[in-house]
Amino acid sequence: MATELVLADARDRDLTKLAEYEEVAGYTALAKARGMEPQAVIDEVVASELRGRGGAFFPAGRKWAFIPKPDQNPNPHYLVVNADESEPGSFKDNEIMATVPHRFIEGCLITAHAVEARQVFVYIRGEYTGPYEVLVAALEELKGRDDLLSGVTIVLHRGAGAYICGEETALLESLEGKRGQPRTKPPFPAVEGLYRSPTVVNNVETMATVPQIIRVGAAEYAKLGVPDSRGTRVVSISGHVQRPGNYEIENGTSVRSLIYDLGGGITGDRALKAVIPGGSSTVILRYDEIDVGYDFNSLLALKTAMGSAGVVVLDDRCCMVQLGIRISEFYEHESCGKCTPCREGTRWMTQILRRLEAGDAEQHELDLLLDVCDRINGKCLCPLGETAAIAVASYVDKFRGEFQQHVDEGACPFGDSSPLHNVLAPVAMHTHSPVATVPA
Amino acid sequence: MSELYTEVQRLKESYPDWHSAMLPALRLAQEKHGYLSPDALRECADALGTTPAICEAVASFYDMLHLRPIGRHMVEVCTNVSCALVGAQQVLERFEQELGISAGETTPDGEVTLRPIECLGGCGWATIVSVDHHYRTHVQPEDVPEIVQELRSGD
Amino acid sequence: MSVQPKGSGQTPSAVRPTVKLTIDGVQVEVPKGTGLVEAALAAGIEIPVFCYEPRLGAPVGACRMCLCEITPGPPKPQAACTLQAADGMEVRTALTSAVAAEAQNATLEFILVNHPLDCPVCDKGGECPLQDLTFRYGPGDTRMTFPKRTFDKPIPISPLIALDRERCILCYRCTRFSEQVAEDGQLVAVNRGSQTQIATFEDEPYRAPFTGNVVELCPVGALTSTTYRFEARPWEIQDVPSVCGLCPVGCNVNVTTREGKVKRILSRNHPEVDQGWLCDKGRFAYRHLNAEDRLRDPLLRVRRRGFEEISWERALDEAEQLLRAAHGRVVTALSGSETVEQAYALAKLLRRGLDSHTAVLPEEISDALDSLRLPLSAIADADAIALLGDAPVVERAPIVELWIKQAKRNGARVVTSIGELGEAANAILVWCGPDGDGGARVAALAESTGARGAFYLPETANTRGVCDAWAAAADAEAANPDPIALLIVSGDEAAANPAVRALAEQAERVLVISMFHGLAGGWADLVLPGTSYLERDGTYVNLEGRVQRLRRTVIPPAPDELVWISRLAERFGVEVSPYPSAVFEEVSAIAFGGILLGAVGELAELPPATDDKGSGQTPSGSDPEPSGLQLIRYRPLFSGPAVERTPELQFQRPLAEVELSRHDATDRRIRNGDEVTVRSNGTSVTLRARISEDLRAGIVRIADEHAGDLQPSVELAT
Ligand SMILES: Cc1cc2nc3c(=O)[nH]c(=O)nc-3n(C[C@H](O)[C@H](O)[C@H](O)COP(=O)(O)O)c2cc1C
Ligand code: SF4
Ligand code: FES
Repeated sequence: MATELVLADARDRDLTKLAEYEEVAGYTALAKARGMEPQAVIDEVVASELRGRGGAFFPAGRKWAFIPKPDQNPNPHYLVVNADESEPGSFKDNEIMATVPHRFIEGCLITAHAVEARQVFVYIRGEYTGPYEVLVAALEELKGRDDLLSGVTIVLHRGAGAYICGEETALLESLEGKRGQPRTKPPFPAVEGLYRSPTVVNNVETMATVPQIIRVGAAEYAKLGVPDSRGTRVVSISGHVQRPGNYEIENGTSVRSLIYDLGGGITGDRALKAVIPGGSSTVILRYDEIDVGYDFNSLLALKTAMGSAGVVVLDDRCCMVQLGIRISEFYEHESCGKCTPCREGTRWMTQILRRLEAGDAEQHELDLLLDVCDRINGKCLCPLGETAAIAVASYVDKFRGEFQQHVDEGACPFGDSSPLHNVLAPVAMHTHSPVATVPA
Repeated sequence: MSELYTEVQRLKESYPDWHSAMLPALRLAQEKHGYLSPDALRECADALGTTPAICEAVASFYDMLHLRPIGRHMVEVCTNVSCALVGAQQVLERFEQELGISAGETTPDGEVTLRPIECLGGCGWATIVSVDHHYRTHVQPEDVPEIVQELRSGD
Repeated sequence: MSVQPKGSGQTPSAVRPTVKLTIDGVQVEVPKGTGLVEAALAAGIEIPVFCYEPRLGAPVGACRMCLCEITPGPPKPQAACTLQAADGMEVRTALTSAVAAEAQNATLEFILVNHPLDCPVCDKGGECPLQDLTFRYGPGDTRMTFPKRTFDKPIPISPLIALDRERCILCYRCTRFSEQVAEDGQLVAVNRGSQTQIATFEDEPYRAPFTGNVVELCPVGALTSTTYRFEARPWEIQDVPSVCGLCPVGCNVNVTTREGKVKRILSRNHPEVDQGWLCDKGRFAYRHLNAEDRLRDPLLRVRRRGFEEISWERALDEAEQLLRAAHGRVVTALSGSETVEQAYALAKLLRRGLDSHTAVLPEEISDALDSLRLPLSAIADADAIALLGDAPVVERAPIVELWIKQAKRNGARVVTSIGELGEAANAILVWCGPDGDGGARVAALAESTGARGAFYLPETANTRGVCDAWAAAADAEAANPDPIALLIVSGDEAAANPAVRALAEQAERVLVISMFHGLAGGWADLVLPGTSYLERDGTYVNLEGRVQRLRRTVIPPAPDELVWISRLAERFGVEVSPYPSAVFEEVSAIAFGGILLGAVGELAELPPATDDKGSGQTPSGSDPEPSGLQLIRYRPLFSGPAVERTPELQFQRPLAEVELSRHDATDRRIRNGDEVTVRSNGTSVTLRARISEDLRAGIVRIADEHAGDLQPSVELAT
């Protein structure tokens, strides 16, 4: 079940130190990759069936293959690493950068070689001071090591607090010094990315997986996991479990086992009510839906996904309307404001949910909520608004009775016994910038 | 020439396109001025070679950049789902009590600003409280007085 | 059926491959690269849009009004505005697709969630795309029962523009204009998500040359002009197509009038000239029509300093007397803002009737430029542009600046000397500034460098037409009269010109034609009230050499110049028609190849370039190496009689700044915003430094009104 590739050896050693990392064969995959043609590296990663660990699960090797060859597009190529991890429930990239920075950097250097990029930008979440300092130190150690860097520069670029900057095109906008609003696709970043040049955007974990694939070979790697979900995955488990934390698992491990074996079961001997399987933007699973493999196809069958692998466990005290409010408030707060359905819809969703929770809503407002979700879903510029709508609609869908109870009883049946009761979200205290008054 | 100006020039050089220096420059200006006051934005704009309006447009998009004065210390309590499930709201309220202010406010002496914040990416170590941008993990309400004490006695 | 994609900036010369697609079952064939919105139009189908505006750059897909079902493609509605027509594509709009209809309905509902229902008091009411689309596609009622988002409203974002944030639908047209077209970086979106709002920095006004365009771009009543607020309703107004007469570009405009008064000026997109943009002077300076010191009756000087209003009959008698008494020793100072017809009429009277050939022309325009003639839009496609002459383009011919910016965004190199031009396949030269020899110099430079085209920017709107008209009436050479018996000052630019004032000192008598008391009073013996370009019928020739039609939009308070010149001419037996069409025909036969006024049309065409290449001689003298810094003083855009009489434009007057090149700034350790002292020959002024990337080393620029008595060679000190 637990098979460590990404986090391998990190428990016994301080892999933040270059020397220690080199002792566990660190940077040998880089040497091996540099001995290969870039295309051969891409082929190897294609054969490994590695899929992106940032959320969309797109095959990494295929993405790299979209990069035009230098003779097709003379612009420099860039590798941009998405280290903006901000999805509620996910904290794996945090730990990866903090504990195995060199493995991560090695992956970046291999990828840069594969896509023929000379410059790497790591867009790291602004709040992640700890991992940032670890990476700074790791890069400092690499300074004299041109045998490893081989002229490639790695720039750490710190975000400034905006979830949407995890969306790859918003990330690029932000990296270009603008408001982090997503771009329309096409063109995709591989064709027109950073500074309108061919750009690969990959997640931290994706990068940290690459050295192991090159080291053991694609065939060996692909033996792990299940069809369409090869290899391992670092899963973040949080909420009402005894042993929350990050666990690297083989894809396909059952959700039940994540909760009860790795997580040690529900805290306070309470009953499981629901699990958010892949970060706040995924469809929720009910307590009776957890005998499912943690892999792409098995979860797809339940219309949900691994997303960013943030498993949030909720016990039976939790009010699903309150959960809806908190999630909706998050997306309302983080909506970039560019497209209409997301900007207006998430705000409207929160308003309706608040009325429901207070017991003030009438029957038709429950349907209105679903209708608003439906009107957001599939109409937005980027997935942010859509996932908000899908997630919240799934709470209604799977716990309809509970929502109905709020209407029928004119009050929340859980009230303040639910830990999600009356939680202050940043959006609730949002104030305008001072309104300008212009002298004539 | 001011330090900020010189440092921003250096930042601009570390990117293929100077526009990318915007966020780091704003961060620097905020560090220097305490918050992004109109003057800080003007200074930043001059150093970058853009307009203060563009700087404000960018700054106001990001939660870590402040267009209003903030305290010398910043306490941010994650109140997203994972932290909330294990009692983040109680932690936040305890901070309110200890500091004598409501979330979103700054103590009258200008020392500490308290605010709730969206998921900080430490859900497994809940409740996360970011104190001056360094995470405290597993914070319980009863840990709060000590944290406040530290802030008050610290330099 | 085929259409040209709007705003592609391409000249449609090359035949482009086409693609076939169906839209709601209608098959169309359009050039490759055509956007779906235009492709649908070609099929006679409207895809509703709010944020889409091709002139603002790449589509952003923000508002989601244009959602359509499109195959091949993902199984959800797509933003048609972001897609281009492709072979075999099937597009289904709300007309034939329930999915698209539901999506558009959803978008409208979301937009209206926070939009106030104040259409009855909104200036946009009756000409509002949101109102129209809601009427056509929208739900009849609202399901939104929560309080709407509220903002203080309306707030002035400048003396010219009011912003009502509650009405704003966040289509980002205005901010994209500011950022990507005007590149002024002044109007921005602040905050995030549903808290996003449009704003300027702090409490500073939106101060830039092109701000008014955002009012026209705004698809709702969020941005309105303070000068038009509550002035009229759409069903009470008339739009008269004309051209702007305030700079040599000649932007095409619609002049909105109500009850005989000009109420606003809107752009009337000429894709080769102005692309639908106007500068704020062209848009707002119409307020000068009703200036307090506007002259309505002729004035005669009586005794020493006094003036007396006299009748037109008497004025013509006086004018006749002045002319007769002068015995041909007349000098005429022209403004360059007269219509071709007025200038010709005056010229015919004076030259043919009175043998008075001497004129002070605003500037003589060289016809060497004719072989290099291109539409202004060609600038957008240039590979390299040399900006010569050192004066700021935006102050003289603002729209040209927008074309140059567009070229830059398209990847053109912009240089400030011929030397840096290098090998460019498609280079264009632009001369703006002194010592240009009416374009002869830039024409010669273009010949010698093989540039594709060259533009010369004269100082006034119809310099070219006035020169042509004056020449067209010639039947003898000028001989400078000495002393000058009569100086005729035609128009406000001439009246405000210090050189003309100096000439008046030498003249025995002075006749001034002017709109304003402030310009004519004090130095004239006889003043005849003038009219504005908004009050005249006739033609102007712009800097490209394009003959464009001016229309009378309102009746002037005094007779049109052409009418009284015609009557005055009669007294000398010179036949001048009072009708612009007849006069134009006469000039045209001599100067414009005989085109008819009717043929000038609403969107005037540019006559083809002539093929007689110039002498090929290289212009004499390369750029002189001045000692110290060379000062270029310039007349700012926001100055002159019309601007001075528009209170709302005063905030646009130039700041007390000195512009210098990055090179000179670095040398002297001067930074943006530093206070610097500019010195020459014992005088000095202290100004704020502004570093400009479009300025040659060795040059500094200061607006006339801030340059004091500075001489051409200056030094800077912090
Ligand atoms: C709203 C939103 C937020 C996202 N946040 C992240 C993130 O924090 N980290 C990340 O790696 N990917 C995030 N993604 C996914 C990225 O867009 C992108 O797919 C990913 O970085 C690609 O890397 P991968 O292929 O290695 O997974 C987000 C996507 C969306 C729509
Ligand atoms: S003010 Fe008008 S143009 Fe600007 S974003 Fe709002 S609706 Fe669009
Ligand atoms: S018109 Fe297409 S999204 Fe706005």
